Amino acid sequence: MGWILFKRALRDLKAGWARYIALSLLIIFSIYIVTSLMGAAVTVIDYTEIRDRELCREDGEFSVFVPLRDDELKEITDKGVSVEAMFYADYAINQDQILRVFKVRENINKISLIEGSLPAADNEAVIERRYSEVNNVKIGDTVKIGEKEFIVKGIGAVPDYNTVIKKLSDTTVDSKSFGLLFVTPDAYEDLYFSGCSLSSQEYYYAYLLNGAMSDDELKNILEDSEFDVNNVDDEYFREYWERMTDRKDELLEGIDELKDGADELADGAEELRDGISEFHDGMTELHDAVPNLTDGIAALDDGAAGLENGVRSYTSGVGSVASGASALSSGASSLADGTSQLNSGASQYAAGIGEFAASAEAMAQSEDPYVAAVAAGFAGPANDLATGYTQIQSGVSGVNSGAASLRDGASQLYSGVSTLNSNSQSLRNGASALHNGTSELREGTVEFADGVNELYDGSGEINDGANELADGARELADGVGEFSDEANDLIDEVFNINVSNLMLFLKHEDNPRIDSAADDVQINYSASIIFGILLVMLFAYVISVFIVHMIDQESSVIGALYSMGLKRRTLTLSYVAVPVIVTFISGVIGTLIAVLTPAGIPAQLADTLGYYSMPALEVEVTPSILIYGLVVPPVTAFIVNVLVVRKRLKNTPLALLRNEKKAVHGKEFKVKGLKFISMFRLRQMIREVRAGLTVILGMFMSLLVAFMALNTFVYCNKVKEYNVDQTKYEFMYSYKYPTEEVPEGGYEAVAEGLRKEIYGYTFDVTMMGITQDNPFFDTGDLPDNDTDIVLSSAVANKYNLSVGDVFTLQDENGDRFYAFRVYRIFDYSASLLVFMDIDRCRDFFGEDDDYFNVVFSDHELEIDSGRLYSTVSKADIEKSAGIYVDMMGTMIITMSVASSMIFLVVMYLMIKMMIDRSAFNISLIKIFGFRKREVRRMYLDGNFFMVLIGSLVVIPLCKSIMDYIYPRYLVSNVGVGIKPTYSLEIYLIIFAVIIGLYLLINFVLTGRLRKITPAVVLKNRE
Amino acid sequence: MSDKVFLTVKDLCKSYGEGGSYTQVLKSVSVKVYKGEMCVIQGTSGSGKSTLLNCIGGLDTIDSGNVSVDGTLVESLKGEKLGDYRRDNLGFIFQFYNLVPNLTVRENIQVCEYLSKSPLKMDELINVLGLTEHQNKFPSQLSGGQQQRCAIARALVKNPKVLLCDEPTGALDSKTSRDILVLLERINEEYGTTMLIVTHNNSIKNMVDHVIYLKDGEISKDYYNKVKTPASELEDL
Repeated sequence: MGWILFKRALRDLKAGWARYIALSLLIIFSIYIVTSLMGAAVTVIDYTEIRDRELCREDGEFSVFVPLRDDELKEITDKGVSVEAMFYADYAINQDQILRVFKVRENINKISLIEGSLPAADNEAVIERRYSEVNNVKIGDTVKIGEKEFIVKGIGAVPDYNTVIKKLSDTTVDSKSFGLLFVTPDAYEDLYFSGCSLSSQEYYYAYLLNGAMSDDELKNILEDSEFDVNNVDDEYFREYWERMTDRKDELLEGIDELKDGADELADGAEELRDGISEFHDGMTELHDAVPNLTDGIAALDDGAAGLENGVRSYTSGVGSVASGASALSSGASSLADGTSQLNSGASQYAAGIGEFAASAEAMAQSEDPYVAAVAAGFAGPANDLATGYTQIQSGVSGVNSGAASLRDGASQLYSGVSTLNSNSQSLRNGASALHNGTSELREGTVEFADGVNELYDGSGEINDGANELADGARELADGVGEFSDEANDLIDEVFNINVSNLMLFLKHEDNPRIDSAADDVQINYSASIIFGILLVMLFAYVISVFIVHMIDQESSVIGALYSMGLKRRTLTLSYVAVPVIVTFISGVIGTLIAVLTPAGIPAQLADTLGYYSMPALEVEVTPSILIYGLVVPPVTAFIVNVLVVRKRLKNTPLALLRNEKKAVHGKEFKVKGLKFISMFRLRQMIREVRAGLTVILGMFMSLLVAFMALNTFVYCNKVKEYNVDQTKYEFMYSYKYPTEEVPEGGYEAVAEGLRKEIYGYTFDVTMMGITQDNPFFDTGDLPDNDTDIVLSSAVANKYNLSVGDVFTLQDENGDRFYAFRVYRIFDYSASLLVFMDIDRCRDFFGEDDDYFNVVFSDHELEIDSGRLYSTVSKADIEKSAGIYVDMMGTMIITMSVASSMIFLVVMYLMIKMMIDRSAFNISLIKIFGFRKREVRRMYLDGNFFMVLIGSLVVIPLCKSIMDYIYPRYLVSNVGVGIKPTYSLEIYLIIFAVIIGLYLLINFVLTGRLRKITPAVVLKNRE
Repeated sequence: MSDKVFLTVKDLCKSYGEGGSYTQVLKSVSVKVYKGEMCVIQGTSGSGKSTLLNCIGGLDTIDSGNVSVDGTLVESLKGEKLGDYRRDNLGFIFQFYNLVPNLTVRENIQVCEYLSKSPLKMDELINVLGLTEHQNKFPSQLSGGQQQRCAIARALVKNPKVLLCDEPTGALDSKTSRDILVLLERINEEYGTTMLIVTHNNSIKNMVDHVIYLKDGEISKDYYNKVKTPASELEDL
């Protein structure tokens, strides 16, 4: 029975051949792509593993300033570790190409010859495969380096340059301008000492641990290694060394001075202790004398008070004297006036006396003797009177004179007493001031006494402190002495680190040049598996929709078979057979194309081989690929269809016989105001919701594929665009041996290589300390501290950082971690850089104030190449910027076309099936008299809204999903931080393509709608 | 026809719907059918005849009563056992044949041949049913009568104990109907297959042993023909 039903399935397959072929082609295409990617990935991964083993790929590598001495090498190799020198130097070829020249390897990282042979003579060489391909260098060609010519005898690849990048921080391979050349040891030496290398020789060693120790243990040994500077011939290194040793001497001198200073400090402290001790003794005496002082001052104050009172009494007395003198003076003056009047009266009286005497004398002379006698009687008294009067006048005159003298004396007395009085006021004021002063002095003395007490206490403490200080200073001096000894050792040690012979230590898993092809294809592998299964599920589901349609059509037949005892499982298997067959056959064809044709795995391998340096690989078909290509599709189809068909066949035989269908939600659906045709269209959409969802699912899947392609397209283009636009310098010089002076016209910077892991990959993040006036990076003002940094948008995007976040980086050796706060993010996507002010950077990393190791310039500078690690020009960057676009172009186109095809086919089949399912109804509607345009609107145009709404939901959904997946899984190994943001135009184009494809299908199916005639009703009835 | 009761229906009630749409289709129907008997269940449209057939065939559930076929209580069977019951005991013939469209006549019959542990001989059956020349044709290449013959062959090939025929001639013209009835008559005679034939055709009752009339879900008549008219002589088909 099973076979019979299987026949039915085969015939069904035959009947719907066009539909199944269309689906099959898509499945074949999907399986072909997926298994090709998987096959290529497995081939590369397995080859890498085998090659690593056969070619003795290094476990890691390290570089040193000077080659390891024999005893150092012996110390390592005696412990079981294999070490081989991988010295190299870079040489300019033609105008813009560089060949890195190595000696032929013997034990580690051996050359895998693809063609030809290893060099046997000093003029022979093996050239790296990618360089030879890109530059068309063949066996027998000559490569000229300086004056030396090498005949290419072989083409090969080495495991330590799987990705042939010049610097570890390079993000893209540019085999056009950089490659490897392997020559004999003698030829290598001759070439290097011919002096035509671009830079000094690099002393790299590769090691194999052989289980003898761990990487870290080896690193510890190497870190302890010393080197003899006399072994270094490089003049630039010597200059650098001398500068470093000068600094060491300066430091040692400084420490000696510190030691002397500490001794002096100890001596001084002891002297200080003695001085303070004396001071304290003085303070003690002072302290003791203060009570006497206060008593004396009190007595003085009391005396001053008494003096003030005495002066007050004295001045009062003087005042009284002055008043008396004043009165006396007035009296004397009055007396003088009186005496003067008396004198005047006396004078008048004297005149009268005189006149009387004269008259008497005259009368005495009179003839009249009487008169004469009388007169003679008067003559004696008159004369006596005159004489008396003369005596009176003399007395009055004397009194008058005395009164005048008294007046003058009284006046002088008054004047003197007045002066005394006024002076006594000053005396009183002075006595008062004296008293005030003594009072204040008394109060001050109290305070002074308190102060002296405190001072005394303080001096006691100072004395104790001085004792301790002296003891401490002595201990300090002793400590500085010890520090000096330790510092000398430390400086030796520190200088050993700074100029440590070990420059770089890199485990193979951290080396971006090693096994990166395998890492890269691992992403393809994972993506293929996921997308492959999703696509197969989509197609299986599409098929299941047809199966369900068929079950609906054959419902009564199934019911009849059930009635007669046929089991659901048997029927389910028969219906599942078609999708299983289709997917299986498609899987077989897809797998065969992938495995057997050049368009399959070899084509995918070509992409890998076109970028990574590996030998031509033999396609490897592993069981996993066969399982994926041959088993997964039918199994997926089986599972999907069993789930769908079983559900459909769960109905009872009677329900199947009657072709009963569950009520579709929305049958009772009514929207007021909608016209009949609009309502019909809405119901039709709801009725066909399964097919509609399948179309949207198809749209979702195809858009995921499309967005993967578009993200890649946008990403690659942005890499190209940003690298060109945002690189503003013309030259960047990285110093190996920095000079003291910045070259004229250059902008110095300090670059420190740090690292940060994300999504399983560790990338170099360069800390760039730049000057504020550096014109090549628009960082804005740089923070004036060493905890904040400015991020390039590349770093911000790569590590999902925002302003204010803490960003932790580790040094190249993984020994130290540095945490910074994001201060600002500026638009710079060309490489993973973070920025700090150059001085802060120097301080932070313990460099000298004038240290720099990078110089940016807008023109070429005259710098000796021997000083440099590398020179990067803007032209180099522009050249390599387009590599991603070139590399991914085919993939982008393929995926875009595949995406459109998936959507086109799924949408076509689903909408066509909707029409087929409704053929009876359409026929009936036509019988009723509806016009073609109305029929189209009812049955076809509703899909437009479904596609429209679906695209509005699915486009942002797919973009979000892809934006989540893309950085984590698809470009997680690329050291570029760019958000593949689409412009509005791209969204509009996507939308237009979806609508365009829909309209195309609508146009095609309109014809099919026309072909449904009223006869269908009759035919179906029959 | 033997004396052994092969099929018993007792007090069978069956209703559909709820509330306003509630319909009592079968109202305490009791029937007995003997082994090898040809029984016609006749009635007007909606009388419950197909429902009775479906209940006997285990295609529909019953509300109450019981159905016993060859000692098996049908209402007690569920899932796989119900399927086994149908596979081991029943053959169905439908009005619209229900053939698998993309299998040939022979293949359609083969589908059911495999269901039986003791199937009838395929070629003989094809020959008996006159399908030899059509055995490699698809249903769409056959006439209605031929398709129904194919459906009969498919039902018979697994040698069922009872053949349930739901309007086997409902979609056929008079002549073809007669041919089919002749064929059923012949099979009954040759293979002794018990047959329940649901029909609204009034003539068919004359060719069978047992006639049951259903009216509004109840048996209005239940009798045995004393004299049967051969199918080839039936009129007004």
